Amino acid sequence: MKRRDFMRDLALGGLALSAARPAAFSLPAADAPPDLAWIEGESPAALTRAAVDALGGMRSFVGRGDVVCVKPNIGWDRTPEMAACTNPEVVRALVEMSFEAGAKTVIVTDHSTNQASRTFLRSGIQAAAKQAGAKVLLPSSFRMKKMSLKGEWFKEWEVFLDVHEADKIINVPIAKHHSLTRVTLGMKNWMGGIGGARNQLHQRIHEAVIDLARFFNPPLTVLDAWRVLVRNGPQGGRASDTELRKTVVAGRDWLAVDAAGATFFGLKPAELPFLALAAERKLGRLDWEKLRIEKRKV
Amino acid sequence: MKREKSRKYRLLQALRILSQWFFFGLFLYLFTRTRFTGSDVIGPVERFFHFDPLLAIVATAAGRAFFAAFVWAGATVLLTLVLGRVVCGWVCPLGSLHQFFSFLFKKAKLHRPKAASAGPLKWKYVILIFILTGSLLGLNLAGWLDPLSFLYRSFATAVFPALGHATKGFLSLLYALGLSGPAGTVGQRFESLTVNPVYLQGFFLGLLFLAAILLNLVRERFWCRVLCPAGALLGLLSVGNVFKLKIDRNKCIDCGLCNLQCQTQASPFPDEEWKRAECVYCFTCAAVCPTAAIGFPSRDVARREKRVSLDRRKILWTPIAALAALPFFRIAPSGRRAAASLIRPPGARPEPEFLSTCVKCGECMKVCPTGGLQPVLTAAGPEGLWTPRLVPRIGYCEYYCSLCSQVCPTGAIKELSVEEKLTVKIGTAWVDKNRCLPYALGEPCIVCEEHCPTSPKAIRLVEHSALLPDGTVSAQMAPVVDVSACIGCGICENKCPVVDRPAIYVTSVGEHRSETNRLLLDI
Repeated sequence: MKRRDFMRDLALGGLALSAARPAAFSLPAADAPPDLAWIEGESPAALTRAAVDALGGMRSFVGRGDVVCVKPNIGWDRTPEMAACTNPEVVRALVEMSFEAGAKTVIVTDHSTNQASRTFLRSGIQAAAKQAGAKVLLPSSFRMKKMSLKGEWFKEWEVFLDVHEADKIINVPIAKHHSLTRVTLGMKNWMGGIGGARNQLHQRIHEAVIDLARFFNPPLTVLDAWRVLVRNGPQGGRASDTELRKTVVAGRDWLAVDAAGATFFGLKPAELPFLALAAERKLGRLDWEKLRIEKRKV
Repeated sequence: MKREKSRKYRLLQALRILSQWFFFGLFLYLFTRTRFTGSDVIGPVERFFHFDPLLAIVATAAGRAFFAAFVWAGATVLLTLVLGRVVCGWVCPLGSLHQFFSFLFKKAKLHRPKAASAGPLKWKYVILIFILTGSLLGLNLAGWLDPLSFLYRSFATAVFPALGHATKGFLSLLYALGLSGPAGTVGQRFESLTVNPVYLQGFFLGLLFLAAILLNLVRERFWCRVLCPAGALLGLLSVGNVFKLKIDRNKCIDCGLCNLQCQTQASPFPDEEWKRAECVYCFTCAAVCPTAAIGFPSRDVARREKRVSLDRRKILWTPIAALAALPFFRIAPSGRRAAASLIRPPGARPEPEFLSTCVKCGECMKVCPTGGLQPVLTAAGPEGLWTPRLVPRIGYCEYYCSLCSQVCPTGAIKELSVEEKLTVKIGTAWVDKNRCLPYALGEPCIVCEEHCPTSPKAIRLVEHSALLPDGTVSAQMAPVVDVSACIGCGICENKCPVVDRPAIYVTSVGEHRSETNRLLLDI
């Protein structure tokens, strides 16, 4: 590579990076869409649509001809009433909206914890996403490739290519209790975007999820809090482990979405090391309440 | 004399080959359907086994209980009483496979049929008598040489895993060639088949299968002629044989081709020597006869019954030898004290009943979605060779799955619904505090607790202070097992990040099926 090309790429890359997540840092114009959407209501699909619309509509995230990866949590062999996986109706709505915005292909996948052929089915996500026209891909070892993560701590790991290679990534976590990180929200959902010996990452879980979130850096995060898993996480097992909250939170700043999500569990964002550390590194806003929030009922 | 082969018997031969392909295909179809296909209920994919009278008799006699699905074996018995060993010639998938390889070996000139001594034909009767004698004493020895068990087990633990590895090799080739599109399509299809690529003894079981195939180089359908106890049983049941071989003496030119080509050494020529209990009605003799002299008329042909010579006095020694040999099968510690590693599938009967009914077919190992069910080598004693056990390090027992209990053809694993299965304890998890990261190293790790599928969890976390080598103390949340909530599924052992020897592991103690392998005094 010539030096000039290199400099040009570097400059373009820098531009792209700064363009990717403007909401959290730049002062918004008065008529710009809000930073966060907090929507409550009676139907998961309607909430999802309202949340994305509040942020300026799916067209502001997905362009014509894009390959979009919608990345829910499909980790566990549990039905939607157990709230261990993302609500299938939320996923369906996002797939539909991506197509409406002109996406060429929408991929729905997750590197699940239990067997994918079971979790994809029992979660209801496979059926919902396929009905909406998405390509639902079972994780395959051939699609895990070791690459540089350019993280502060997390240098190199197997990355799930079906997620990484998409033009646009939409992170669709579900809000759940977790015994180590206390909650699992959007940032920890990236454990499903990688392969390798993930069970060893728990030794440095906070650093790991921060670097992963920065690596995948989704332009849009939609947090499913329709039914929240409040104990026995991250897979629950009884309906009584869950609480119906009928909420969807969405935003461009993934850190702010997670910070807002912590409140479902009565936690202050600063109490959670992975959020506090990420905020320290200026990766997003911890003080989500100070952002411009569109909060409404549909 | 005009030389012309019989059209009728060439057609019948073609029909027979068609039938063999059909049943082999059906066997294979049911085999590949023996996996999680999206429903918690799998249906009768194991039906082939229920038509096997050998398994029916042995499982019933040894298990001292009749498993209802074995009424199907009555159909095979009736068919054989009336027609002879047509099931061997037209249906048996292993017989078809042997015949196919015999055909290939002949085509490739690797095998030339020649006159063979009839002596070894009686071995299969000896094997059968040995097995039947054992079953009266409560020993189930049928599974090792039963043709369906042998074929299924070989396919499940060796042939298909090998095909799985081959497919993976093919996929990496496609990716290496930059054909990620087709590779992705094939890869997705392959993932959905959930081929378990890892089996203990898989290589050895594959070698045995290969040996059985290579025996066709020695004699055509060697297995069926010499070894098969199910074939021997059907031979003994061949009393009616409505269609009997008849040679038209006016046409016969004494060429001996029929004897040479006979698949099972039933000696079609001369027809007085024809052994009806050996004939599998493949119609090769009638089809190859250059003058169409051989027929199978249904009208009664008056002649003396010919059978494989089983010298009464000698054959009597077989049960006596069997009686002498059978106690040797019980020389093992497993009868006295449960083996720690012998984690039986959920629904498995108490060990003595389990051993007397399990036919080592491998259905449960094939259907297990995680591949955790593995063939036992020594843990269950000699009679337990190739019975199933859960090896959590290879695969755990999937919480909402009871497929193994549904596919067991003999009821050795009692059929359970998913709801029933959730409450069945097959073992107990133990933390090895000397290796567990929070206990031993003061490092955070909750992987076992996170994966524990019960609610409330059987693995809870308590704070523990670990003393580090430099004298400092590291306090971490560390796992403790609630043995009354633990069902022994083994996902904790499977997912434990201590790679070589896990820091949490499951042993069979506390399993519900056993009264003696008890853990907590709860009478």
